[in-house]
Amino acid sequence: MTRGNPFRAPSSRKRRKVSKWGDRIFLALTAVGAAGVIGILVALVVVLYHGSLPIINALGIKFLYTQTWNPYGNVYGIVPFAIGTLLTSAIALLIAIPLSIGAAIFLTQHAPTWLREPVAQVVQLLAAIPSVVYGFWGLIVLVPIMRYDVDPILANVLGWTGWFSGRHIGLDVLTASVVLSIMTVPTITAISKDSMMAVPRSQKEAAISLGATDWEVTRRAVIPYARGGIIAGVVLGLGRALGETMAVTLVIGNANVIPTSLFSQGQTIASLIANDFFEQETPLELPALLEAALFLLIITLAVNIVARWILARFEAGRAVGAE
Amino acid sequence: MSGTSESASTTTPGDQIVRKKGSGRTAAYVVVGVVIVVVIILLAGYYAAGWFKSSSSSSGGTSGCTAPAATTISGAGSTLVAPLMDAWALSYTASTMNYAAVGSGAGISDITGKTVDFGASDAPLNPAQRGAIPSPGVLTIPESIGAAVPIYNLPTVSTTLKFTGQVLAAIYLEDITNWNNSALQAINPGVTLPNAAIVVVHRSDGSGTTFAFSSFLSASNATWKNTLGHATTINWPAGEVGSKGNSGVTATVKTTVDAIGYVDINYALTNSVSFGAVQNPSGNYVVANLTNIASAVKDATATFPSPSGDWYNFTVENSPGAHDYPIATFTYLFVYSDLGVAYSGYTMDKAQNLINLLLWMVGDQTGQGQTFSAANYYVPLSTAAATYDVNAINSITFNGAKITSCVQT
Repeated sequence: MTRGNPFRAPSSRKRRKVSKWGDRIFLALTAVGAAGVIGILVALVVVLYHGSLPIINALGIKFLYTQTWNPYGNVYGIVPFAIGTLLTSAIALLIAIPLSIGAAIFLTQHAPTWLREPVAQVVQLLAAIPSVVYGFWGLIVLVPIMRYDVDPILANVLGWTGWFSGRHIGLDVLTASVVLSIMTVPTITAISKDSMMAVPRSQKEAAISLGATDWEVTRRAVIPYARGGIIAGVVLGLGRALGETMAVTLVIGNANVIPTSLFSQGQTIASLIANDFFEQETPLELPALLEAALFLLIITLAVNIVARWILARFEAGRAVGAE
Repeated sequence: MSGTSESASTTTPGDQIVRKKGSGRTAAYVVVGVVIVVVIILLAGYYAAGWFKSSSSSSGGTSGCTAPAATTISGAGSTLVAPLMDAWALSYTASTMNYAAVGSGAGISDITGKTVDFGASDAPLNPAQRGAIPSPGVLTIPESIGAAVPIYNLPTVSTTLKFTGQVLAAIYLEDITNWNNSALQAINPGVTLPNAAIVVVHRSDGSGTTFAFSSFLSASNATWKNTLGHATTINWPAGEVGSKGNSGVTATVKTTVDAIGYVDINYALTNSVSFGAVQNPSGNYVVANLTNIASAVKDATATFPSPSGDWYNFTVENSPGAHDYPIATFTYLFVYSDLGVAYSGYTMDKAQNLINLLLWMVGDQTGQGQTFSAANYYVPLSTAAATYDVNAINSITFNGAKITSCVQT
């Protein structure tokens, strides 16, 4: 009789008594961990809401559409900072998306294999740099470049659009957007690259067999298939850009007003909180900052939920059309 | 086949599940590793909490009186005086002082909430903050002196620029927008000022330096006084750049050509940035240094308010001395006037320790607090201020009873 009957069911082997309790403890620990994570998120929202109750009671909905922020006059409005946040993030994405998708296309479609991994690793390194380092680099290196080289060209060529008016000193919304775009490139590139590499060869080969050029293969076979992943990457990058604090606060000029051009100084919600959190002059300022934080949290959560929904939609679509 | 041991290798093709040899041993390693890590973390915590230190013997003599057993005294507030507080915490051995540099506003919130023994701020309490302090109220005790200096970045100008309060106010009001403006040129004859737009930099966060600077501008310019006033945060005109912290303003001015800003003397002296001379009421243009700031405070004519009174309009700026620097300011500590009434669970020992610490901080005998000022680029208290402080500190009571002090020298 050989050892190990191949037809013997695994469950009929004698189980060790220990493993049953081990499983239960393991289950309990992981459940606690999961509950803890959810609990932290709920606690965040509750604490922020509780802290901003004084100003919710005082100002109510006015907080959401007031356009000035003046603690001494008891005027608190989130509009300048919401606009600053959305504007810098939007421009950052505008710059980052072509760069990242282009990089991802190059890495997956055209780069020789020996080049792909090192370049991908270097792009990943960009994500590992602390944001305060980006801020200092921005202040010391990028700001003079923008002020003396890039901004004059933009003012000359695009000044007629009205977006590039006013004096440019380099510390403005545009420079903050450029710094943010550099910070979001690695996120979008990494996720897009992974999505594009997951495109089955059959899709590409089918396109090639129909006579498509390289660009057409990419445009019609790869990108539509990887669309969901690319969008997820973009939204993740957006999430990072929305909450970025130190890199922005060093180069944006910190003016609590609505920016009138890309060369104006502005302010984002995260940067406002970083600046004002420790030195409140009036009793309502801290609740106002907490409400701004709550607003930012809700926006970020909404962005992430939308991302997941889009991703799920595309995944479902892709599963139907998959080989 | 005989002798086939029940080893890890599969003996038949069907038995796919491999019994890993020594899987019990791996688990044991993991558990031991976790236990070791936890023990190390606990030990580190205990060490940091001082369990292993032999009870600190008072290495400073206490001149013949018996000091109470050492306790921990906590303070929080201004980041500006943080280096000085750290130097004091290291040198003061009769008690353990913990100072959290969380910003003047947070320091004021902390003392209002009674979570610290003293709060530190670069600016005095404004009326709203004073109203928020619960009974029995706090005493305002100046513990150090700072000054606001104008810094600028003009590579083509090698001489020290002169400023007046009027001109500075006009620059910050955006009335003067170019460096070669006639008003600036008039007070700087013989200096070729560039034809460039001034990049105005201010503090984006609340700051005692802003308080001192805006007080000076209020005193120099009626428009400023009526529109923007003096406070730790100002509603700055549009088009100016805000930077966080003294270090932020310094960094922004240093890297931005044609910029002007204001920082505390501490930062101006320790960074290589050009700072200008400011005209004092005697008409002289004074470049700030530790000496003329000290003489400014000494010559100030304003009388100190009472320790529990309103300090918001008290100023040592614009002193009458010929070579006094006109933008000098005190930094303040806030302590409750009766420690037993203010805090629940305070003991007489703890109260004595706090009084001893405060007296040490404002004392200028060898080894006491004020002797550390100059080395850290702070200005020591004037004699009048120190005397005032000693009286104020000695008026602090514990449940109505006087607290005997025993200051370390």
